[in-house]
Amino acid sequence: MAALIARLARPAPADTAYAEVRFVHMLRKPLVLRGSVHYGGPGQLGKRVEQPYRETTAIVAGQVEVTREGRTPRHFSLDRAPELQALLASFSALLGGDVATLEQFYTIKLMDNAARWTLTLTPRSSDLAKHLREIVVDGAGNEPHCFSLHEADGDASVMLLDALAAAKLPDPPTANALAALCRAAP
Amino acid sequence: MNSRYRIVLIVAWWLLLAALALGVRHGLVVSSDLRSFMPQARNADQKLLLDEIGNGPASRLLLLALDGAPPQQLAALSNGLAQALRDDAHFSRVLNGAAAPGALDPALLAYRYLLSPTLDTATFDSLFLHDQLEQRVEDLASPAADALKSLLPRDPTLEVLNLAQRWTPAKTPLSRDGVWFSPRGEALLLAQTYAAGFDPAAQAAAIDALQTALRALPDAGAAQLTISGPGYFAVRIGATTRVEAERLSLLGTLGFVVLLLLAYRSIGVVVLAALPLASGALVGVAAIVLGFGSVHGITLAFGFTLLGVAQEYPIRVCSHRRAGEDLRAGVRAVWPLLRLAIVSACIAYLAFFASGVPGLQQLAVFTIVGLLVAGAATRWLLPPMLPPRFRDAADTPGLERLRAWLAALPRPRWLPWCLLVLALIGLWMAPTPLWQNDLAALTPVPPALLAREGELRDALGAPDVRYLLVLAAADADGVLALSEKISPQVDKWISTKAVDDVELPSRYLPSLATQRARQAKLPDRATLQGALDRALQDLPFQPRLFAPFVDDVETARSLPPLTPAEFARSAFGARLEAMLVQRDGDWLGLATLTGVHDPDVLSAWAATSNGQVRLLDLKAASESLIAQYRSRILQALGVALLLLALSVAIAFRDLRRAWHVLAPMSLATLLVLAVLRASGVSLSLFHLVALTLAAGLGLHYALFFERKVDTAAEARRTLHATIVCVLSAVLVFGLLATSSVPVLRAIGLTVAMGVAFHFCLSILMAQASLKSAATDGRFLTSAIKDDRKNEQC
Repeated sequence: MAALIARLARPAPADTAYAEVRFVHMLRKPLVLRGSVHYGGPGQLGKRVEQPYRETTAIVAGQVEVTREGRTPRHFSLDRAPELQALLASFSALLGGDVATLEQFYTIKLMDNAARWTLTLTPRSSDLAKHLREIVVDGAGNEPHCFSLHEADGDASVMLLDALAAAKLPDPPTANALAALCRAAP
Repeated sequence: MNSRYRIVLIVAWWLLLAALALGVRHGLVVSSDLRSFMPQARNADQKLLLDEIGNGPASRLLLLALDGAPPQQLAALSNGLAQALRDDAHFSRVLNGAAAPGALDPALLAYRYLLSPTLDTATFDSLFLHDQLEQRVEDLASPAADALKSLLPRDPTLEVLNLAQRWTPAKTPLSRDGVWFSPRGEALLLAQTYAAGFDPAAQAAAIDALQTALRALPDAGAAQLTISGPGYFAVRIGATTRVEAERLSLLGTLGFVVLLLLAYRSIGVVVLAALPLASGALVGVAAIVLGFGSVHGITLAFGFTLLGVAQEYPIRVCSHRRAGEDLRAGVRAVWPLLRLAIVSACIAYLAFFASGVPGLQQLAVFTIVGLLVAGAATRWLLPPMLPPRFRDAADTPGLERLRAWLAALPRPRWLPWCLLVLALIGLWMAPTPLWQNDLAALTPVPPALLAREGELRDALGAPDVRYLLVLAAADADGVLALSEKISPQVDKWISTKAVDDVELPSRYLPSLATQRARQAKLPDRATLQGALDRALQDLPFQPRLFAPFVDDVETARSLPPLTPAEFARSAFGARLEAMLVQRDGDWLGLATLTGVHDPDVLSAWAATSNGQVRLLDLKAASESLIAQYRSRILQALGVALLLLALSVAIAFRDLRRAWHVLAPMSLATLLVLAVLRASGVSLSLFHLVALTLAAGLGLHYALFFERKVDTAAEARRTLHATIVCVLSAVLVFGLLATSSVPVLRAIGLTVAMGVAFHFCLSILMAQASLKSAATDGRFLTSAIKDDRKNEQC
């Protein structure tokens, strides 16, 4: 497992295209967003939404800034968004190949067969568990393909990365269809 | 009198004093509130000023910085310390950035549409709601979703967040790991004490508690705590001043004892010479305890300084003992002059009583009681206890040569006039303002500490300690309305960088009228539901999701507007409560300022507001108060000087000789003033006290030099006593003059210089004693004749 995670490390800065599907119980249908994730080294993560609207999120030194076209930027502390903090920590640790940090936050389970693998991260702290059930990373070889966040209230977000980001999605996308896409062998 | 009896008496006196000291110590409350050196407030403004100087929220803030450990550990320590201090009885408020900056009290949730300014510019129609809900969809897809989800059904327009943003100061510190950090990586905290900023004793207790709390935290070892703020400075300065004063007084006392041993060659004399002064001081303190209850530390320091005059009494008695004569005769010979000196000093110190300032009135009571007791002790208690064997001071080797030399000095008549002209030129040419009204300037904060304080204050966005914006109205709601009215002007100041932020009371609570206006704009249930349905048509929200929102708006329509009293009971209420004060029937709103860059712009605008808005400059206002009562002290000193001249003239029954005493004293005082002023010193209360003491000592020199004596031996005794007095005063105060603490230096330099001038001028101008022995050996002063008559009775 440690060897796998170490292999995932990428030199900073790195930009990764993504397509994200968010399942929110308050909404009648899932939201689909496309854009890119920016990794600028440990603790520095950016997310840019290109479709269906433009939005930039930058995280520096524990402060989050969300900028949307035509609106005043919104700021908040990472501490008040534990979900985001967990995401940042795991994403940043994955991109940095940092097993120690990952293990500090999560218990890690690896399912590995020759063609593809799945990492399941379960929060260690009960505080984080109140918001986040688990993070699932699907991939093959040295490449992560999907990054799925399952929240405690049943909402979920699935990010398809790199090559998969351009994949055509069913309308409306369903959890099962996405899971199939993520676990398909390359 | 046998020596056994003498020793018993001396021991009994010391024991009595020790018992008195214990009793006094028990009852004595030493305060350190600078306000006891300010006159009593006469109007609402001055009352407010005196309250704010010590109790203003800004002056009670301690700024804390933690460093010396990795950021995550610092953040944990910051949280631990904040928690510990919130449970500590010394602190009223502790902020470290961890708590949400302005979360609305759940009890007031229904009031959000009345408190938030959203409805001032918008209406809840379908257009507005559609725009808002469209943003909420995007919010749900953003990283902020987790924080917003729970709010959304009740509050789709996010009024709670609008309020939180409104209640967050414009300038907040950087946040890292959930707590405040400075740009250079220290964790920052703000701790507000219950104790006043200028109460060093109470502040020291709070700072102790703070340091103990930090040390008690696990992993606190490596971390270093920097404390700053007015309260901390008061403690630091108080400590350095005390350490230095104690060190120098100890050196001075040792030198003084050596001097007495050299002068009288008797340990007994040294032991006894301290008794009158100690008695005077203790009874003086006891008088304050009985009359006032508590006493200010500065009053005690001033009091002991002024009481230094009394140290001369036993010296005069000891030097004037004559070989082969009854001891009491010598005492009687000098008593009339001593009595005159005591009475004149008391008259001069009465001037401080007329000041109307509690601290100085205590000073007057202390010194007058002290002088009278020390004088009486010298006259009646001391003589029976003096060792029967002694060396006549007149036989001191070399003394006669010195006397002859002094007597033969040329005394040109033009010299004093020349000095007077020089003094006047010095006073006229002085490069600095005459008065130093800022009491704090005499105990200045070291520049390095001050720079650090500015850095932390800036990083924390902590309010300014000097300025306050004061809004006046007939009632609390009037203040809120006024606050709303000037809010656009305040925004202009902020945008033009005249000030970084102004915390207006209306930021927290709008006036009743504004709340009613917002309420009137809330649509009824049917209208709102219709608008919401239209807005939701092309949006993906679940049906019926916003039912709680529709309910809340309906509730808000019929709420009675929130009054300041009700708001004060909420979680955020303490903040507003501290900003609204009732004074003499009027209500005042106190708006704290942060980062005042251009106070002139603010005060110029306030001047056009018909007194409704004022910029209160605490420093300028307290200085003007001090200037006001200082002129009263000066008048009182003037009157005291006249009375003193009168009493000297009556005692001598000879205007010319009274002039011989008063002229050198006045000229020497003027010369000291001239030297101080010419070297750029601005005068303060401390200088006035020092000048008064020097003048009191100078009066002694002149009185005794002007005394006509019957023999050359008596003239030598007078010279002996005066030289011992002058040397001891120059020694003790000269040491103080070497201090690095400006207030000690000011007192030391002024008195030491004064004593030297008084001595020289007394020799030049009041020389009867030095010369009379040579010209008329049998001449006796009327005073001594009087005394002899008394003796026969």
